[in-house]
Amino acid sequence: MSAPPIRLAGGFIRGAGQERLLALVLAAIVGVMVLVPLAAVVLGAVGDEDGFSLMALADVLASGRVIGNTLLVGLGTTVLATGLGGVLAVILVRTDTPWRGGLEQLLLLPLYITPLLTAVAWSWLGSPRGGLLNLLAQSVLGPVGSIVNLHSAGGVITVAALAYAPLPFLLVAGALRAMDPSLEESARIHGASIGAAFRRVTLPLALPALLGSALLVFVQSLGLFSVPAVLGMPAGFYVAATEIYRLLNSYPPRVTQAAGWGLLLLVVTAVLVALQAAILRRRSFVTITGKAFRPRLVHVGGWRPVLLGVVLLYLLAAVVLPVATLCWAALVNFITVDPKLMSFDLRHFSYVLFTYPKTLLATRNSLVLGLLTATVICTLGLAMAWVIVRSRGAAARFLDQVGMMPLAIPPIVLALGLLWSYVGLTWLPLYGTIGILLLAYVTHYLPFGLRALSSAIRQLHPELEDAARVAGAGLFGTLRRIVLPLTRPTLVATWTLLFILSLQEISSSILLYTAPSTVLSVAVFDLWEAGNVNALAALSVMQLFATFAALLVVARLRQKAVAA
Amino acid sequence: MSAAFVSVEDLSIAYGGFQAVDRVSFGIDAGEQVTLLGPSGCGKTTTLRAVAGLERPSAGRILIDGKPAFDGAHGLDTPPEKRNLSMVFQSYAIWPHMTVFENVAFPFRVRGRPSVETRAAVERALALVDLARFAERPATMLSGGQQQRVALARAVAFGTKLVLLDEPLSNLDAQLRLQMRDELADLRKRLGFTALYVTHDQEEAFSLSDHIVVMRGGRIEQAGRPQEIYRNPQSRFVAEFLGMRNIIPCELAGTGEGARLPDGTVLRGRDVAPGTAIEDAAIAFRPGDVRLDDKPGEGQGGSGVVARSLFVGDVQHVFLRSGPVELCAHVRPRPGLDEGRTLFWRVTPEDCLILRK
Ligand SMILES: Nc1ncnc2c1ncn2[C@@H]1O[C@H](COP(=O)(O)OP(=O)(O)OP(=O)(O)O)[C@@H](O)[C@H]1O
Ligand SMILES: [Mg+2]
Repeated sequence: MSAPPIRLAGGFIRGAGQERLLALVLAAIVGVMVLVPLAAVVLGAVGDEDGFSLMALADVLASGRVIGNTLLVGLGTTVLATGLGGVLAVILVRTDTPWRGGLEQLLLLPLYITPLLTAVAWSWLGSPRGGLLNLLAQSVLGPVGSIVNLHSAGGVITVAALAYAPLPFLLVAGALRAMDPSLEESARIHGASIGAAFRRVTLPLALPALLGSALLVFVQSLGLFSVPAVLGMPAGFYVAATEIYRLLNSYPPRVTQAAGWGLLLLVVTAVLVALQAAILRRRSFVTITGKAFRPRLVHVGGWRPVLLGVVLLYLLAAVVLPVATLCWAALVNFITVDPKLMSFDLRHFSYVLFTYPKTLLATRNSLVLGLLTATVICTLGLAMAWVIVRSRGAAARFLDQVGMMPLAIPPIVLALGLLWSYVGLTWLPLYGTIGILLLAYVTHYLPFGLRALSSAIRQLHPELEDAARVAGAGLFGTLRRIVLPLTRPTLVATWTLLFILSLQEISSSILLYTAPSTVLSVAVFDLWEAGNVNALAALSVMQLFATFAALLVVARLRQKAVAA
Repeated sequence: MSAAFVSVEDLSIAYGGFQAVDRVSFGIDAGEQVTLLGPSGCGKTTTLRAVAGLERPSAGRILIDGKPAFDGAHGLDTPPEKRNLSMVFQSYAIWPHMTVFENVAFPFRVRGRPSVETRAAVERALALVDLARFAERPATMLSGGQQQRVALARAVAFGTKLVLLDEPLSNLDAQLRLQMRDELADLRKRLGFTALYVTHDQEEAFSLSDHIVVMRGGRIEQAGRPQEIYRNPQSRFVAEFLGMRNIIPCELAGTGEGARLPDGTVLRGRDVAPGTAIEDAAIAFRPGDVRLDDKPGEGQGGSGVVARSLFVGDVQHVFLRSGPVELCAHVRPRPGLDEGRTLFWRVTPEDCLILRK
């Protein structure tokens, strides 16, 4: 090559220009959405009214106990949830334990019950005084003191792990299914026992999924608000998220300290994300092809009932007991273990529906937010995913990286950043409306939509789109006529999941709501703080049943779609 | 060449630092078919996609029907939907969420054509490929060959003057491929469209094309009419690609005076480019043109020991060695071709090519 390649004359080029414009617009939207609140947290932490100051950060670093508690809860939950999820995945994907299919469906339910309700239910069951389990023990065994105390670090960790175990379960089960069984078989042929093959081949290959899910759980639990608020605060056990909440609700609100905590959480998660990337870079795996294999089942013989028992025990603790407790508390006149004092009626339901002033407003706000969040993410996510998968260039890389970034931002920190960015912004009155909540939800859940939709688009042969272009359809015509219909099943599933998730969001809502923009999860938490436990139970039971009904409808729809 | 229907001028396409297509120029006259032929990875698909507007070249010019579609010097890049051409993809790219009819009707619908016109044209196209019965089938419920026909019908239904085809037959089994090859030739004769065709199968290229462009590593190695290329490959690369398995380095004694092989045998042959500089002289001939005898006899050639003898059905592949020279002959199977025997090979001067590079 003698002459350097001729640069295309600058300026706007039609055709390819449209794609570039789309990429740039999306990059601008996502950049503002994600980077502005991040910058706000950093700036907020190092300055107050008087200018630059590191006082707040020094304050934060001096409260070693809360930092210790936060790390303890983060690490403890991560280890326990990842271990639990991993074991459940191996049992249900790789062994011949009975009822695997049905159990696998049930294992996802904790995601819909939410950490908040699980914590509330377990608080009734396991608080040191007045906890049902303790009362029950006393009435059976006599005065034995309390046998369990969930208002403790251990309680927070256990309940958070119960609530989050489905995440690692999903990721590890997916990795196990995507693994070519011949890899393990060839290890067997070359002399490894079942155990050795599992340890030397399967486990290392599942490592990325394990690490990935561990990181996901860690970020979630590091910024977790609901469980420590319900189980920790009564015992004076504070973690970063509840500390931020306390600082903002003190008079006057101590916003700089709160931002300091936010910054600390961000730094810790950033370090971990970098660490994970470094670990995974050194081992690059090409076995996970996106192709589904039929995993080879290990016949466990006499262990079948034991493994079944493990799964059932988890379901008992994470689903059956919490839901049963909530239902019982919603119907009983007041919380007691004495059967002679109990009576059951629907008065709590009628109170919540007709008397409690927040129900109607919160329900309406939550529904509107759910609809908008799911719709906005699906639209934005589809466009972003298309650009990321189909185009090369800086904008696509930026979209990929910044779009996935919220996965590493604890929602409470995101909320802090949004507060700093938008409170007092008179020309853009977002704060005080559900607009700021929408912004928080869309930003926080964007990675979920992005990941699902990218993999859907990756499965479309690019020539399907090329064929439409050549046949005369423009860029947007192709997106509408080819990409949209072909990704519709994923879109429907993603939309539903996002709708349900945003109905439950509390970690950022708790900082961002105002009286007119209150939402269901906050209303539940208010009832908790007010000690109105029966009304709380009634409200959450209604919410749970609405969620389950929605899930059933979607499952039906999907079955029909498959059958058609 | 100047009145060509499609003309590609100095086209270059780079992926990052990698030059996938390097200053490629060719033209296609109206109603003719040009085939890009070459081994895997030589840039055929990339060139074709650039003509379609699906790939952005880094430099060069593409004119379609007299109008510039891409011009690197002026930053002009017409999007694919405005180039008014159609394409058959290697993967067929049949949209799975549409019926056969809807697939073929797509070019009409996106351009907002009246449905009466659409129906008539689509039915005509489906009849052409013998798929009229399947119009209402979901496109996914078709065999590979049928999907191929849908792709073909979709490409010709709208009546664009230019059709691009990217290895349209490569996903079919051998028998179906032969049948579809004939149908394709027939279809083009009847409809008279201009075609740019990509393949790495030389038979397909020879039987379907008016012109062939042989590519190598992103550049044009040789271009010309099929017979011309078959008879006169200009380089070792083209000769080898066209099945001249015996390419033996040699010394050229003098102008037209024959070539001396390393074992001393002297052969005469056709010099494909007399007068040009000698870069790397070799003599080339096809294994099928070699005759094997038990005794020395008439004609030019030498002798060698059978190193390997393979029975492959209709023919026997016999590999001879004589000192540093190895050659291969495809002959009718018969007794006396066993390994270790000494045989005498003969090849006529007309079947021998003298290559200079
Ligand atoms: N998107 C891309 N990014 C980087 N390199 C590419 C890309 N697409 C193609 N290439 C490279 O450009 C070269 C030409 O590719 P092209 O697809 O045109 O080959 P081809 O001649 O059609 O081969 P085949 O017969 O295998 O289809 C190859 O070396 C390929 O690796
Ligand atoms: Mg190709």
